[in-house]
Amino acid sequence: MALEEMDKRRLSGVDIIGRKKGLLVTPDLCIGCRGCQTACKEWNKLPGEGTVNRGTYENPPDLTPNLYNRIRFVETSTPDGLRWLFVSQRCMHCTDAGCIRVCPSPGALFRTPEGAVAFNKARCIGCKFCVAGCPFNIPRYDENDRISKCHLCSDRIANGLSPACAKTCPTGAISYGDRVDLIREARTSGYKAVYGEADLGGLGVLFAFREAPSFYGMPDKPSFSPTIGLWKGILKPLTIIGLAGAVAAAATHYVTVGPKEIDEGGDE
Amino acid sequence: MKKDLVQKTTGFERFNHLVLAASFSILFLTGLGFLYHTLSWINTMFFGVHNAKVIHEWAGVVFSISLILTFGNYLGESLRFSREDSAWISSLGGYFSRTAEPPPQGKLNAGQKIFYLLIVVGGGLAISLSGYMLWLFPSSRGNILFGHFLHNIAVLLFAVTVPLHIYLGTAANPGTFRVMTRGTVTRAWAKKHHGKWARDLGID
Repeated sequence: MALEEMDKRRLSGVDIIGRKKGLLVTPDLCIGCRGCQTACKEWNKLPGEGTVNRGTYENPPDLTPNLYNRIRFVETSTPDGLRWLFVSQRCMHCTDAGCIRVCPSPGALFRTPEGAVAFNKARCIGCKFCVAGCPFNIPRYDENDRISKCHLCSDRIANGLSPACAKTCPTGAISYGDRVDLIREARTSGYKAVYGEADLGGLGVLFAFREAPSFYGMPDKPSFSPTIGLWKGILKPLTIIGLAGAVAAAATHYVTVGPKEIDEGGDE
Repeated sequence: MKKDLVQKTTGFERFNHLVLAASFSILFLTGLGFLYHTLSWINTMFFGVHNAKVIHEWAGVVFSISLILTFGNYLGESLRFSREDSAWISSLGGYFSRTAEPPPQGKLNAGQKIFYLLIVVGGGLAISLSGYMLWLFPSSRGNILFGHFLHNIAVLLFAVTVPLHIYLGTAANPGTFRVMTRGTVTRAWAKKHHGKWARDLGID
């Protein structure tokens, strides 16, 4: 139990939620220029990838190990006509992060002092558990089978800069700041519900949505699989309690009831 | 063999038990290092977390092969339940009393049969199959989530029962440890712990 508590304290971002840094994504302001995709690649030294014309401006079609941030183009027909929406897709830097919870290699996924979920490829053992633990299907694996994803430009924000995507965004569709301030800003701009305000302990990437999240292709109630909670919350503490209990029971039995001695003398 | 000793296990049986025990210990230790980040120093001793992962995987292969090789030795006997077995269970094997003695037992007693069927075979197959799922098919989300869950249920079973198994095979029953080291037991031991088996062998 104590071990579980120690792990939890080390890995959870709950204690820093109040001073967590984050991004506010406002699809209404996005013009779909994808400058953020390019700036991200430049800062993180990620190579370009050959793409094909799929009949849409959305490109590439999915996140890759070399694409941490992508603008999803959502086309939805409504009674008022066609809606064309641009939504940034990337790691959400959850406060209660499924990926960190399931990662078996300490330090492969870690929380920065600003509350971002960053990674250290040198510690990654390539098990892909984080992919199953992520509620947003974000982590990708590179050609060496090491994790690759947005880390909120943790090297920039540690030095007081804003992430490359937010820095380059010409319209303010991606803005960086203190999470509490971002939520307040979105409210004052007239967005009633800020996506990510309370989900998974509070997401580091917030979304100012006019409609329901599913309208933008996002899960309405993001959550990781309940088996992760059962495993980490119940089985994990029970295992160490059970182990200690069994050893204690054996020792107690030995000094109370005692061993089964062979009573016929001389044989043993 | 000395005249007053009785052969209980074959050389292959003891060798395989050693392989199973050794691979289990390696798997359990590295597994604890993966499960509890506060115990990650265990995997530092296994040459770092990357090597610990490879060691865990291949020790798992050894474990699962060794597990299957136990079937020939114990599965048949464990599946045969008789009257002595119910009596053994109702007297709790005589382990919670200084006086109560279960009736004479066959080559394996009911406790050993249950441990073998539920923990060794049941838990062993569950942890092996889920281990292969996690190792070989990590691209499937469902595989990882279910595999992990199953893997850890089996871990819990082992964490509780294996220390008891070790205790019962050593300190709790003097003269028993040699069953898995030398392979022989004394006549007095055979009569006390497996009276029916001893009788069948002609030991009075």
